[in-house]
Amino acid sequence: MSAATANTNLPRRIIKETQRLLSEPAPGISASPSEENLRYFNVMILGPSQSPYEGGVFKLELFLPEEYPMAAPKVRFLTKIYHPNIDKLGRICLDILKDKWSPALQIRTVLLSIQALLSAPNPDDPLAENIAKHWKTNEQEAVETAREWTRLYASGA
Amino acid sequence: MNVEEVKSRRAASSIELRNMESEDEMLDAWAGTSDGEFQNKEEEEELDALASDDENDGSDYGFDYSNIDDIQPSSRLPQTNFTVLSEKDIRHRQAEAIATITNFLSISPVDAGVLLRYFKWSISKVNDEWFADEERVRANVGLLEKPATSKRKIDKEMTCGICFEGHPFEKMTAPRCGHYFCETCWTGYIHTAINDGPGCLTLRCADPSCGAAVGEDMVLGLVSNEDQQKYTRYLLRSYVEDNRKVKWCPAPGCEYAVEYQPGVGSYDLVCKCGLNFCWNCREEAHRPVDCETVNKWILKNCAESENMNWILANSKPCPKCKRPIEKNQGCMHITCTPPCKHEFCWLCLGAWTDHGERTGGFYACNRYETAKQEGVYDEAERRREMAKNSLERYTHYYERWATNESSRAKALADLQQMQPVQIEKLSDKQCQPVSQLKFVTDAWLQIVECRRVLKWTYAYGYYLPENEHTKRQFFEYSQGEAEAGLERLHQCAEKDLQTFLEGDNPTSSFNDFRTKLAGLTSVTRTYFENLVRALENNLSDVDNLKGAAKSSSSSKASGSSKSRGGRAKGGSSRSGGSSRSWEEATHWSCEHCTYANTTATSSTVCIICQYPRS
Repeated sequence: MSAATANTNLPRRIIKETQRLLSEPAPGISASPSEENLRYFNVMILGPSQSPYEGGVFKLELFLPEEYPMAAPKVRFLTKIYHPNIDKLGRICLDILKDKWSPALQIRTVLLSIQALLSAPNPDDPLAENIAKHWKTNEQEAVETAREWTRLYASGA
Repeated sequence: MNVEEVKSRRAASSIELRNMESEDEMLDAWAGTSDGEFQNKEEEEELDALASDDENDGSDYGFDYSNIDDIQPSSRLPQTNFTVLSEKDIRHRQAEAIATITNFLSISPVDAGVLLRYFKWSISKVNDEWFADEERVRANVGLLEKPATSKRKIDKEMTCGICFEGHPFEKMTAPRCGHYFCETCWTGYIHTAINDGPGCLTLRCADPSCGAAVGEDMVLGLVSNEDQQKYTRYLLRSYVEDNRKVKWCPAPGCEYAVEYQPGVGSYDLVCKCGLNFCWNCREEAHRPVDCETVNKWILKNCAESENMNWILANSKPCPKCKRPIEKNQGCMHITCTPPCKHEFCWLCLGAWTDHGERTGGFYACNRYETAKQEGVYDEAERRREMAKNSLERYTHYYERWATNESSRAKALADLQQMQPVQIEKLSDKQCQPVSQLKFVTDAWLQIVECRRVLKWTYAYGYYLPENEHTKRQFFEYSQGEAEAGLERLHQCAEKDLQTFLEGDNPTSSFNDFRTKLAGLTSVTRTYFENLVRALENNLSDVDNLKGAAKSSSSSKASGSSKSRGGRAKGGSSRSGGSSRSWEEATHWSCEHCTYANTTATSSTVCIICQYPRS
């Protein structure tokens, strides 16, 4: 589908969500639609304080598929991140992006959940196996690596 | 029925919970049976029947076996352990189950349906769980006791939380939980769920924090005709697919389902469509070979071996429902798609519930690592074994397996063709009433059944280990004898019969033919029944024989055959001097066909095969 047709007949829900995201952004989160395709969002999430990602700015992309909101948005990290539930392609293991999706959830709730995931990594349901293993065997060292990566790749430069 | 009765019924039903579990286990194994099981089975049926007391008892949707006896080769199977259900029967049973629960729990039929689907259509389970802890059941299933008192004042217009549009209140709808969304969004939500598969039957409220069930009344009231049809189809299927006691007949295009009562008889069933199949693995009936062997054999024969190789290489079967699963992303925690929903570990295929810290966390399964070290998952080993089974050896068994299958199909076709036409003709020619000619049909039914058994003995033979020499020898001997016996019967039923069909006048020898064919049928039947039993026991007699042979070689046959009630008869009755002495006074066993002749009728020549007595 070309960008032009994607932008026509944009459901009111998406327009409203976009407006609200822009006018009342959630703390530490920014999401703005791409100009060519209003279903594609450039997202930035600040690393939560007291987490190894503190001080980092993480870029993500978010896409609302044709079925949205009946189907979940597609979200991916663009910034490299050392996290047991995020793999090297930036894919995220999060239940509400899969079978626990509900149309009553929104872009904002999804991004808040991802932010929470940065605060509380869950190595028991891992996507990146080696990182999860690292986390389980030597959390201190893993956290240090996560900090290092945040400094290297997410320092906002 | 009075109140006392209801109470005692309920008391009875709580006993059943425990028994239901053991019954479920029974379904998993070639299990023996105990009196307790039977009693509880009856209790349950009584319980089920209770609700239908006022409607015509509902007992005659059962399957009338008398029809099938005429044409089906399995007429001698124990026929009390299964019931064939048509779509109408299924709907009837569903309605009945729902009516029962509606009455017992004083809830709406829609709620009863939700409960029954949640508890896999087990009435007793619904009863037990409900009376044990109604609140917990309600919470798990998503049935709210009272409709939520609407927290909102009824405005003229409301904003839908999904589409963010304003709608007049009449256009808003909600399940009992009171989470209002507009009708269009509900419809879209339900439509998405229906097109995702049978999971739509356990649909919950669209509010992510709410678990209230979305019942069929709401679903059917909102969606398009097409979705309605899909949904009702899933409802029907759920009775079969969620229910441990019911399965679809696996014949292509067949719409019957079969209900099985565990604990009685074998797994072999016959559907109304004529297919003979195994309850456990849903392949065609395959006694004496077990399901695992059949599965291996069929996989091996699979013409689409390329596809098969791909599936084997790239997927694993769900350990519960066996559907192949391809893992293309994500973690090791796999959840099978509904209705199975089994959660398991991709590495060791064990239940997810067994996993946790002590099995090494979720990223590296200890159970898998240990088993791998013990060689359980040794791929190289498996390939070596495959290579050992050379193509040549396989072809030998496959050809014979396939030939017997085509003979079976031919015999079945002959039988079906013969039944109306030839029997009539024979009746005319020989001036015999049709009822007196049942022995001919019986002979043909026996031939069909024997071909089926014989066919599977080749799969058995293929997997019988090469190094078990005694077993192999005995097996091949018994198989050879079985084949020879069957040939004699087939010959008699085909060629001998022909002469009586062609002759112009009633022949006096027709009675001899009757005796001979009936005798051969009976002898062959016994021989095959013994063969089936012996193979199902994995030829354990051979091991016993070996033990006996050490102490005394001469008494080997008698020791084994007597203690085992005559199993492996083919071997023992022919070899034993002892079996001769056993009944010498009145009977003698024919050396050639094993028929037990009476000394009164003939003491020198076998009346079946005319072979002289040795």
